Amino acid sequence: MSRFFRSGESSSEDSSSEEEELYSEEEKDEEQQEDSDEDQSEEDDEEEEDAESSEEEKRGASKFLKDVDSSDSEDSDEEERGQVKSAKDKRYGELSQTIKAIENGSKIGDWNTVATEFDKLNRQVSKIKDSGSTPKIYIECISDLEAKVLEASEKQKVTPKKMNAQAARGFNTLKQRLKKNNKDYQDLITSYREDKLGFMESDEEEEPLPVKPRKIRFDTFEPAQPAADDDEGFETVDGKGRVVQFTPESIFKHLRAIMESRGKKNTDPFGQIKVMEKLNSVAVTPYQRIRVILTMVSARFDLSAGVSSAMPLEHWKAAEQELSTLLTVLEESKEYIVIENAEDWEDDDKPPTLGPNDKYIKIPGSIVSYVERLDDELTRSLQHIDPHTSEYIDRLQDEGSLYNIVFRGLLYYETLRKETSLEIPQDSLNRIVMRRLEHVYFKPAQVVNILEGNCWKRVPDSVDSLITPRESITEASDLISTLCNYLFNNSEGIIKARAMLCRNYFLALHDEYYLARDMMLMSHLQEQIAQFDVATQILYNRTLVQVGLCAFRKGLVYEAQNTLQEICGSGRQKELLAQGVQIQRYNQVTPEQERLERQRQLPFHMHINLELLECVYLTCSMLLEIPLLAQTGSSPDIKKRVISKTYRRMLEYHERQIFTGPPENTRDHVMQASKALAAGEWKKAIQFIHAIKIWDLMPQTDDIKAMLSKQIQEEGLRTYLFTYAPFYDTLAVETLGAMFELEPRKVSAVISKMISHEELAAALDQVTSTVIFRKGVELSRLQGLSLTLADKASSLIETNERTLEQRTQGSSNAFERQGGRGRGGGQRGGQRGGRGGARTGQRQAGGTTFTGGALGNAVRG
Amino acid sequence: MASESSAEQASGSSYDLIPKLLPNLDAHLIFPLLEFAAGLYEEEGDDAKVQEALKAKYELLKGSNMTDYVAGLYCDLHGLDNPPAEFTKQRDQVLAKMAQYDSETARITDLLADDEVISNLRSDKVANLEFLKKEHGVTIEMVNALFDFGNFQYSCGNYGAAAETLYRFRVLSTDNDKVAAANWGKFACELLTTNWDTAIEELTKIKEQIDTKLFNNPLAQLKHRTWLIHWALFPLFNHEAARDTILETFFSPAYINTIQTNCPYILRYIVAAVITSRGKPTRNTGTQQKQLKDVVRIVRQEAYEYSDPITEFVKALYIDFDFEEAQKQLTLADEVLRNDFFLSGSADAFVEAARHLISESYCKIHHRIVIQDLSARLGLTEEEGEKWIVNLIKDTRVDAKIDYKEGTVVMNHPPSSVYQQVIERTKGGFFRTQVLTAAVTK
Repeated sequence: MSRFFRSGESSSEDSSSEEEELYSEEEKDEEQQEDSDEDQSEEDDEEEEDAESSEEEKRGASKFLKDVDSSDSEDSDEEERGQVKSAKDKRYGELSQTIKAIENGSKIGDWNTVATEFDKLNRQVSKIKDSGSTPKIYIECISDLEAKVLEASEKQKVTPKKMNAQAARGFNTLKQRLKKNNKDYQDLITSYREDKLGFMESDEEEEPLPVKPRKIRFDTFEPAQPAADDDEGFETVDGKGRVVQFTPESIFKHLRAIMESRGKKNTDPFGQIKVMEKLNSVAVTPYQRIRVILTMVSARFDLSAGVSSAMPLEHWKAAEQELSTLLTVLEESKEYIVIENAEDWEDDDKPPTLGPNDKYIKIPGSIVSYVERLDDELTRSLQHIDPHTSEYIDRLQDEGSLYNIVFRGLLYYETLRKETSLEIPQDSLNRIVMRRLEHVYFKPAQVVNILEGNCWKRVPDSVDSLITPRESITEASDLISTLCNYLFNNSEGIIKARAMLCRNYFLALHDEYYLARDMMLMSHLQEQIAQFDVATQILYNRTLVQVGLCAFRKGLVYEAQNTLQEICGSGRQKELLAQGVQIQRYNQVTPEQERLERQRQLPFHMHINLELLECVYLTCSMLLEIPLLAQTGSSPDIKKRVISKTYRRMLEYHERQIFTGPPENTRDHVMQASKALAAGEWKKAIQFIHAIKIWDLMPQTDDIKAMLSKQIQEEGLRTYLFTYAPFYDTLAVETLGAMFELEPRKVSAVISKMISHEELAAALDQVTSTVIFRKGVELSRLQGLSLTLADKASSLIETNERTLEQRTQGSSNAFERQGGRGRGGGQRGGQRGGRGGARTGQRQAGGTTFTGGALGNAVRG
Repeated sequence: MASESSAEQASGSSYDLIPKLLPNLDAHLIFPLLEFAAGLYEEEGDDAKVQEALKAKYELLKGSNMTDYVAGLYCDLHGLDNPPAEFTKQRDQVLAKMAQYDSETARITDLLADDEVISNLRSDKVANLEFLKKEHGVTIEMVNALFDFGNFQYSCGNYGAAAETLYRFRVLSTDNDKVAAANWGKFACELLTTNWDTAIEELTKIKEQIDTKLFNNPLAQLKHRTWLIHWALFPLFNHEAARDTILETFFSPAYINTIQTNCPYILRYIVAAVITSRGKPTRNTGTQQKQLKDVVRIVRQEAYEYSDPITEFVKALYIDFDFEEAQKQLTLADEVLRNDFFLSGSADAFVEAARHLISESYCKIHHRIVIQDLSARLGLTEEEGEKWIVNLIKDTRVDAKIDYKEGTVVMNHPPSSVYQQVIERTKGGFFRTQVLTAAVTK
């Protein structure tokens, strides 16, 4: 957030510094004390809050007593002072005692005592200060003490004689505390040193004045208060019963008052906004209107205090309207510009005018921050609305107008950028372009086109955008790529990465699998994603999932499974995609973390359908796992290769069930299909898979179903061969073709592939067109085990060698020759290695390496 | 020495890669390609296209200083007997310029021809320059003149001399950018004078230069690598000895990535090179197997971006195991190869090797093969097929017999004995462990 939004501390500071001007000269010292008082209190938040609230209370009370001339307020003041007096005297007494002790201690060099006494002194002084000013004797004391400490430390350096340990420790503590403490009283100390006697004498006269300046201060922001209970037909009246006039001339005065009360307690924000609405209606000049709107929009944003609640709907709408008006005003009167680095105009009475050398009248403000805030507020409110109600839909319709604001904001910044002398930071433009991109990247092209069309309709024909010219951008894909390219060229770090991800998301959504995948890989984001913020990591996960779904739509089962593995295999899809908070079992997260996570949730309309995702993932896993399970069969290293643990677990669970009813949900469907496929009943498997209703959510459902049938046929054939090969001597290709309703050519291609990859111990006989299964390939248990043992032994040797090589930093070259030999041994499975090699290569390309540590971080934040 | 040319290109068959290659080659390197294309058209008797090619050649070389040749082309193009006067004028200018450069660089050339001077030169360039400056009054300007002269000579088509001049320049200059340019220039010269051995040296030099000088500019690296890959095609298919080195370069991750991202059509040349280099006695079968595997992998990955009959052949044979398709693609590939500048020479070798590959994997998968069928797969007559199989059995010692009566080949795939497998795997284990123990005790 920028400095245009409220931050409690700075506003109170501002107001106090502005108050300063109102004080008379002789009160200067007094004021400084108060200032330093405040400074000190800022060191500790809690303390400050206390102090402030007490101040507020006083203010609240004195509001009713407000009249400088009224006698009863005098009285109450008198009374108060009378009460204070006696306690004060007592404290002064204690104070002088302590000071004496300090003086004595410092004379004899007992620094330990001095340090303790000094602490005591500070405590006492702070009490006194609460009720009045800093006592002069205190200043005298600390000033003298500082001098003595300095002297003593000088002496330490020259004399060889050391202090005893205790005294030394005390001395050091004292020195440090003193240094820190005295900083706060620097002005007083200097004035004391300049004129010791005069300073001490002025003591008494100044004390009774502390209340006076406050009264003046209240006067200034009084007019803001009463408007809260403003009614039709009544004159607006201020606290003193005076009529408040909203005239164009008084606008700035009102505004200043409101600005000053910002962030303080007991101000009525709604009332203030009402006042400003009135002001806005009377504002005449563009300058006035701009100023009023800027203040009003900030005030509206202030309404949503805290991070969890959204701002009220009507205020959001009003803010949106006002921003729109603001942008119109700015477009109409080009000499006024709102930029971040402008100076505040202090003079309320006359508006700034164009100087001879100036081209623009600069008004401080940040359009981009307003736009961002407006966007955030909408998101926040969408997070809180139940997505299945019509309220959500209604709210969602506001996105159109929001997008329009973003768009116009962008146009405005573009025009500002044209003026190089303004030095508009590239960053602002990037931010606003990013916002625009974030509103379109997840939408289908048609929707984006409508959105864009509406925006262009609302700006005059003469206006054109530099980044996205009206003429050349007709398609949504052009828009996305133009926006992204702009960000690639002009930004770096997170924004660049986000732009890249948004683009890939959009590409994947529109079935450009290869493009999306290549860009994803080329960006090398998978290596750095862990260093980005959580929101970006979520976007990364979303993009990843979208790429996986795209691969599935293309029929690339292997790639799809691989890409989705990381997200779907984790069982934490909800968290990783920020689409719902996972129920935590062992209270691993603190409420704080949970709150943060809730904030990160995406609004419903951006969600990726989790059920569809699961369905795709499980189906892909089935197509890969079932033949694999059939292949590994009963061999001893059965547990070696598991493609999807999640799937295996579900399958095991499903198999354990004694009675299985008809499938009810997606998971059941896939599991029963798996079972059928494993048994060679591919038709049944297809039926189960086709019965899943959620496919209807995919575009071109029929194509996808056809693709799935084809895949199931092939995998069914493979599974069948793996499972039943041991029971056959020969199998006719024709028969197989008939069984799986595949062309004989396709069947022999599948078989050839299996033979070539040494998955199947068989050969084709061309004459009879049959598959001949080889005999004696089935290993006995002992043989199988001894093969495994041999493998394990050789891998053990290799590990040993590698370890030694590492330890010796490769200096012992004795292994070079052996390495070659070892490899020679491994050549037996050349062809299989080829397949394996291809797979691992693809795996990298497909992107299992996509995620890595990102996921964990995305969750823990 | 940027390689830009937008010469118009008459496209031959739909698989003609010349238009794709052109942007990455230097004008002088493009010339042989155009010449080749023109030659093809002439064979076909397509006059319009010949004329077009002639025009393309003219456009290509107009900017160069080979005035005589350009004038000749112009005459051909417009059917004139004598070139117009402007060419003569241009020629005179070029000659004058040449003379001027010659005199400018005469001193330094003489110096470098002097044995005494040469013997005083060290490997340190700065020191050398210092020495020449002190002893012989050589200035930086003179060195740079060498560069310009080399460039000029190259532009005149005097490649040998240009190479020599650039070499001299390189010895002396300390200007990195210019040395880099000179490297490219020298490389081009060597290619054009078909000095393959030196060309390979230059290639290695440029490769290093790309790795070291441009390491923080990935885009420039990509661009330079793309150029290098294209230029290297000349020696790849013309110089037997260079093949291994260049293939190795192409298969190194940096270059294979460049090919995949920037110029997937180069895959055709890689596939062709890998397949044709098969069965060469000098080659290590291990590397060859590996390269074949790599090629299959890349073809598979890039199938969506680029495919032509040659990559399709690989895909059909190794990914889909569709032999009919493979055969079909092979026939197509043959034609494509003959129309390709780089590959026309190795078309026969390619077909031969491809047949080998087909029969190899065919035999591996099948138990009994009808000779007739196999012959058809290989695109041979039955008789040729039989001969082929006999040769195959003889060469590769496959365990196979021809059953003449049935007209079939019976393959015998002996199952690898499980005992043999265990022995294989545990072989050398003891020895390796011993060495390990020895190393530990050391």
